[in-house]
Amino acid sequence: MYELAGIRKVFADGSVALEDLSLRVGPGEHVAFIGPSGAGKTTLFRILNLTLRPTAGTLIFEGQDVAGLSDAGLRRVRTRIGTIYQQQNLVGRLRVVHNVLAGHLGRWSTATALASLVRPRDVAGAGRALEQVGMPEKLWARTDELSGGQQQRVAIARVLVQDPDVILADEPVSAVDPSLAVSIVTLLRDLSHESRKTLLMNLHSVDLALGYFPRIVGVRDGRVRFDLSPDRVGPELLAELYAGHRDEERQLERLRDGQNPLGAACRPLPGFRK
Amino acid sequence: MARIPSAPPADRFRASGSRRRFPYLFTAVFAASVLFSLRAAQVDPRRLLEGDALGNVAKFVRGMFPPRLDGEFLGLMARPAIETVQISVMGTAIAVALGVPLGLLATSSLTWRGVLHERTSRTGRWLLGFAPYAAARAVLSVFRAIPEYVWAFMFVRAVGLGPFAGVLAIGVAYGGMLGKVYSEILENVSPRPLETLRAAGASRLGVALYGLVPQALPNVIAYTLYRWECAIRASAILGFVGAGGLGQQIELSMRMFQFDEVLTLLAILFVLVASVDVLSGRIRGWVA
Amino acid sequence: MGGLRARAAAARPGRTAPLLAGAGLAALLAWSWHGTAVDLPGLFGGEGMRQVATYVAGLFPPDLSARTWRDAAAGAVETFAISLIGSLLAVGLGLPLSLLATRTLLYRGILFEGRRPGPGARTARVALYAAGKALLNLLRTIPEIVWALIFVFMVGLGPFPGVLALGFHTGGVLGKLFGEVLEDVDPAPLEALQATGASRFGILVYGVLPQALPQFVSYALYRWEVNIRAAAMLGFVGAGGLGQRIHIAISLFQEHQLLTLILAIYAIVTLVDALSAYLRARLV
Repeated sequence: MYELAGIRKVFADGSVALEDLSLRVGPGEHVAFIGPSGAGKTTLFRILNLTLRPTAGTLIFEGQDVAGLSDAGLRRVRTRIGTIYQQQNLVGRLRVVHNVLAGHLGRWSTATALASLVRPRDVAGAGRALEQVGMPEKLWARTDELSGGQQQRVAIARVLVQDPDVILADEPVSAVDPSLAVSIVTLLRDLSHESRKTLLMNLHSVDLALGYFPRIVGVRDGRVRFDLSPDRVGPELLAELYAGHRDEERQLERLRDGQNPLGAACRPLPGFRK
Repeated sequence: MARIPSAPPADRFRASGSRRRFPYLFTAVFAASVLFSLRAAQVDPRRLLEGDALGNVAKFVRGMFPPRLDGEFLGLMARPAIETVQISVMGTAIAVALGVPLGLLATSSLTWRGVLHERTSRTGRWLLGFAPYAAARAVLSVFRAIPEYVWAFMFVRAVGLGPFAGVLAIGVAYGGMLGKVYSEILENVSPRPLETLRAAGASRLGVALYGLVPQALPNVIAYTLYRWECAIRASAILGFVGAGGLGQQIELSMRMFQFDEVLTLLAILFVLVASVDVLSGRIRGWVA
Repeated sequence: MGGLRARAAAARPGRTAPLLAGAGLAALLAWSWHGTAVDLPGLFGGEGMRQVATYVAGLFPPDLSARTWRDAAAGAVETFAISLIGSLLAVGLGLPLSLLATRTLLYRGILFEGRRPGPGARTARVALYAAGKALLNLLRTIPEIVWALIFVFMVGLGPFPGVLALGFHTGGVLGKLFGEVLEDVDPAPLEALQATGASRFGILVYGVLPQALPQFVSYALYRWEVNIRAAAMLGFVGAGGLGQRIHIAISLFQEHQLLTLILAIYAIVTLVDALSAYLRARLV
């Protein structure tokens, strides 16, 4: 699916976000990315969904080097990559149906896109997507009237409508409460498993990553520090990954003490499909 | 299978009947007024291409180049350019002088309503509070609804041709706008600190100085500066009715078909307006 | 340590800055007072006041004869029409031009981080932006009344040149304001739309415009309030409406008719202010 070699990203202010990063992800794989804040994970995801150009290195998507793509070619590839953000990145003033149908924008012609704002196309598809995330009744609501967790599910519904081959989720649960976090992660995992999509997720909470993903990539200072299955990610590795980042170290301590910050709420919420 | 509504459920908007009807009513009334106005304003794009229209434009544009930039002309125009700035400054000053007292009187929370007046008797409130309040509102409404150039016309009659008429016109028209906005700013001041001060035994003046003014001042200054930016444009226009400044020169040059002078004058006006905008933006930055 | 001292200094600002500002303001006022021949004693003193009083008294009573009444009503309707169509024309001109005045839609910002545009393409877009800005500045700098003179020159007398004058000047103003709104929209939803493979146009109509629309409506209504006043003025140079009739009344010393026309201006301006406030509350 993805082949990254020697990716380097330097921003205009001179700060280095990624340094000689190489990675290979096969089709249908589920991968969690962990690491302290500022490690470059979000930058990496923006490069993976082709909205940010690396300063150096090659990015090969499905055997195709994306560096040489034209604007139109880039857009065609982007339609096959769905992204879910930490903030929901929705337009609050639009109704939910339009935000969900925006997943079609990569395929729709200009005229269709315009017409759909007046009289929505594919209402059924949008409704199905919302049903999959457990809130079909919100189809016609104004998006800014929804809670944060509901908006995150609208963002997921948009990706379902887009129907990409890869789903990139950049800290999709750090803005929702812990019980909802589990249900959103499982939802994304199950949905991509069913339709054989590749799923890459940035996670702030180590326990979610270790509990739900078969492959863990640790990122620090813009480099891959380890790339292992969860049973081989031990306390020493994690301590090294988060060294010097106090909040995250505290999280590790809790994990080591056997406390589960997610408590007993690790069941899918009612309204989510199993 | 969950119910998937296929259209916006109407009940979301049925909260009140008028809210549901509003989009349709608005569209109908809007379309009707546009159609009617198109006729009333005798809009006819063909006239732009007919007869001498394009030829006249060509003549106008050709006449503008090269702009007149000789020392004599520029020297002559320095005085009206300076006058335009002076009219805007003095006009804004008079507008503030009119707007502050009228705006204070037109603020209901200061004159007759709210925390400051809970212990005034009813008749007292009406006589000393509401009557001046209503009068101030009426005066402000007349001041701002009559455009500045109509004022200018009348002041030209009263005090004669020249910049002073322009100053008075801007002062009165903008005094009306400033007074209204000042009163809105004061009404929107949070009442909490005022109540606290009142409870601590502060006098009315004390409450005004320590509660109202600090909260309102930045907005008041920002809006006054914005009005000054408008005033420099207005002061240039007022020249067309004989109230001094650049406008008078533009009008003269237009009437004499000296389009090369018009271009120079417009350039001078642009520089003046842009510098006032920049200066005012700077000051607003310091204040905020 | 140094930080602490700096903070102590900040807590007690110097007294010179406000003093300087006050002195500057006083000097500016004195200079302007002198330059504009302000003569308050002359205005409020015996002779001046009497002159004003005589003039104002001469306006009364307003002429309410059927003929003047009809004339004022027709003028008010015409002025209203000029302001409405002029403002709509301004939106029609300002909206497309504002897209040229928005850097974040042309060559920089979040939509342009995915692919390096060719050197020629970028230069062309920067040039397009500069041209758009320049055109808006030109439209905006020329006052309505000068535009009106130009259009009267082109298409003759009547309300139509007034419509064109308002449309061109206000188009420049709105184009600039709309461009600022467009540059200020939240970029996060745009990034998400771009990531779905949406085209520039798709991002514009699904991400940018929905965010900008309330501000657009608000600015357009605000300019309508300005334009109803301006529409009444443009008649002075022959562009129809109440202004033309006022001009005639003043030139012919028809003071009673003049008062009726001024009352008509008051009525129509107040009406538009109220309508605009109502629509702003309803639409935004």
